[in-house]
Amino acid sequence: MGEQSNKGGMSRLDFLKMSAVAGVGLVVGGTGMKVIERAVGSDRHTAVDGSIEGEQVVEMYGEHQAGIVTPQQTYMYLASFKIIAADRAALIRLMKDWTKFSDLSTSGGTMRTGDNPMLPPSDTGETYDLPASRLTVTFGFGPSLFGVGGTDRYGLAGKLPNYLKDIPRMPREKLDAALSGGDVVVQVCADDQQVAFHAIRNFIRLSTGAATLNWLNEGFISGRPGTTPRNLFGFKDGTANVLHQTTEGYDQVVWAGEDEPEWIKGGTYMAFRKIRMLLEVWDRSSMAEQQDTFGRYKESGAAYGKQGEFDEVDSAKLPDTAHVRLAKESKQLIHRRGYSYTDGVDPRTGNVNAGLLFISYQRNPDEQFIPMLKLMQNNDKLNEYTLHIASGMFACPGGIRQGEYIGQKLFES
Amino acid sequence: MHARTSNRFSKLGYIGMSALLAATLAACGNNNDAEPAASVSAQQSESQASDNSAIQEGTTKLQEVTKQLQDAIGSQNADEVKKLGKSVNDAWLAYENSVRQAFPLEYVEVEKYVMPIYSASAYDKVDFEALTATAAKLQDALVALKNAKPTTANTSELLLKAVDNYKAYVQEQMDQMVDRTKLFTEAVIAGNIDEAKRLYPLTRVNYERIEPIAESFGDLDPRIDAREADVEDLSTWTGIHRIEKALWVEKSLEGMDQYADQLIKDVQELQRKVSTFELEPKGMVAGAMELLNEAATSKITGEEEIFSHLDLVDFAANVEGSKTVYLSIIPALNEKNPDLGNQLDAQFQKIEQVLLSYQKNGEYVTYDTLTTEQIREISDELSVLSTLMSQTASIL
Repeated sequence: MGEQSNKGGMSRLDFLKMSAVAGVGLVVGGTGMKVIERAVGSDRHTAVDGSIEGEQVVEMYGEHQAGIVTPQQTYMYLASFKIIAADRAALIRLMKDWTKFSDLSTSGGTMRTGDNPMLPPSDTGETYDLPASRLTVTFGFGPSLFGVGGTDRYGLAGKLPNYLKDIPRMPREKLDAALSGGDVVVQVCADDQQVAFHAIRNFIRLSTGAATLNWLNEGFISGRPGTTPRNLFGFKDGTANVLHQTTEGYDQVVWAGEDEPEWIKGGTYMAFRKIRMLLEVWDRSSMAEQQDTFGRYKESGAAYGKQGEFDEVDSAKLPDTAHVRLAKESKQLIHRRGYSYTDGVDPRTGNVNAGLLFISYQRNPDEQFIPMLKLMQNNDKLNEYTLHIASGMFACPGGIRQGEYIGQKLFES
Repeated sequence: MHARTSNRFSKLGYIGMSALLAATLAACGNNNDAEPAASVSAQQSESQASDNSAIQEGTTKLQEVTKQLQDAIGSQNADEVKKLGKSVNDAWLAYENSVRQAFPLEYVEVEKYVMPIYSASAYDKVDFEALTATAAKLQDALVALKNAKPTTANTSELLLKAVDNYKAYVQEQMDQMVDRTKLFTEAVIAGNIDEAKRLYPLTRVNYERIEPIAESFGDLDPRIDAREADVEDLSTWTGIHRIEKALWVEKSLEGMDQYADQLIKDVQELQRKVSTFELEPKGMVAGAMELLNEAATSKITGEEEIFSHLDLVDFAANVEGSKTVYLSIIPALNEKNPDLGNQLDAQFQKIEQVLLSYQKNGEYVTYDTLTTEQIREISDELSVLSTLMSQTASIL
């Protein structure tokens, strides 16, 4: 049972022997366990985007966390946790367990159960036969983890990064506090929904005793490879990402600056808004009205007065309150990585609860995101068809090397 | 209560037939074969003639019932007035579809006065004074209908006429809004909470009926109508909903003078701007859709009148404003899409019935008393209406 005292965290194989009740500190003996079969350290070929040929594996280790500039997978789960760990040591144990499970699941593995049939199985099992499916896991820390607006439970106040704070009150929003914020956010993405759910489900399971779930969102987005996916209003969403999708571009737009605490170097800020989209109202609106709302042609995605989706936007050609015009007027770039969601039926109207899980990554939300959001909440024609119902801002630590755990530099320095 | 609706539906079969006939006529009209065209034309004038005699008969009947109603009003016989209010409605429903097809402009006038008479028949207390005026106007409208001549205008002329009629309605609402806002703000400044609460829904009605027009003038709409949740900086929040909060939540009008002064000035400025407002058929039709969207987004959620819970007042006013557009485009609908006209007619009746069931003595119950199922019913009817209304642009 020496695994737990290993400061840098357990090796991949060590973890495979561990039972799932990690948060409580229970570890089952390792003898007689069937260890997962998986090609560890074989001659994998890592592609430019971090995916590993043939295995549908996105490398989780590196300068940055995966799932931020990784090309979007089809499915996402976004979960927010409240940390209830008694002390920082307990919090670190949770982060280690989560890191281990991330390592295991992003490489296509599952925890295998021991030979005592009287115990619950170690893995929930629904991915035994499934590949990694480009699974990525991305962690972010909310202001409350640093004691903002409450007590500094884990002695982290001194490490609050420069721009981490809740998004200020915006006009026309109707936020549900129970669906907003949190100490820790976990974004899980994969091309297979079952693989994505398996991961988030086990993160929740592993957190028992150290964290409780605040809220959980499920998203999907689809488009032909190489094309900009469309939102539920049928318009291309995220066209402007192309303006910064280079190494230098990401440095300027996404990755936290040099003046930030060490732990967030290579990291970024995640802005989250859950935006209800009034599909029924939108679907009754004329094509002219829809296109005026965005300032783009629906089919081609080209801005008004242009031919192609990626042609430079000429703001003067767009209506004053068009969504795209306002985005340009803010003169800021953000890295958008949103997903659509559906959430059942509004019992009062019979309308489908659906919309956008808006997620953007940026190095300085004060400059890049909040003014843009404010401009839009005040003027955007799209407001007639949307309603912001949840919000969150999280600081995502930089990437880790194998053997480190997520946020190690924050919790141990 | 469902009488109006079921009568209306029993008429639909007939209308569907004549619409089909009209479509057949249109198709044959393009045919160069002279013979069938001639026989069709004979058929057409025959059917028109029978329609016209039905309209004459129906109108004579309706004039008689209205006369009886006027007598009952004169003798202040409340029970008789209520009974005859329903009879007026029945007499109108018996032939109104043929009127809508043949004399759309006159139809609108009659419809305008039948509805309030019918509504009043459901109230406990009868307002004899108001009914006297309405019944007299109905008689005038019926005389005009009897003498009406079929219109020969083409669609674009019909649409321009529709815009003129609608603009007159907007102006009328605007003038009434100024009068009512004046009384309301005076009550606010005088610190008279009860009187201000009584006048509050009246000022809302006018605004909500013409909301898309009222929203066309820059920051006038936010100044007059911003809800608390719309405002970024609460210290800049002004207008009617600020006073609504004072009346229903703070229960004090202290410090409201400044908002009342500003409100009446803003509404008067709106009146000046509306009087010179240019409107085209496109904008008018889009406005009717916007009104229903407003109802579907901010009223059905109970967010518009979050303190007073008078959301049904606004909801009904949105529907009324939208119906006014529908009424003014009936001639164009008859020409281009008579089926849509029939469906809209039936659906407006249906939603009016539902809304009427939430009135007590002519006032809507507060929104917080509605159950989820009740809200769902209203929402479902609104969805049907909105979907139909979204097709009206086909006449443009």
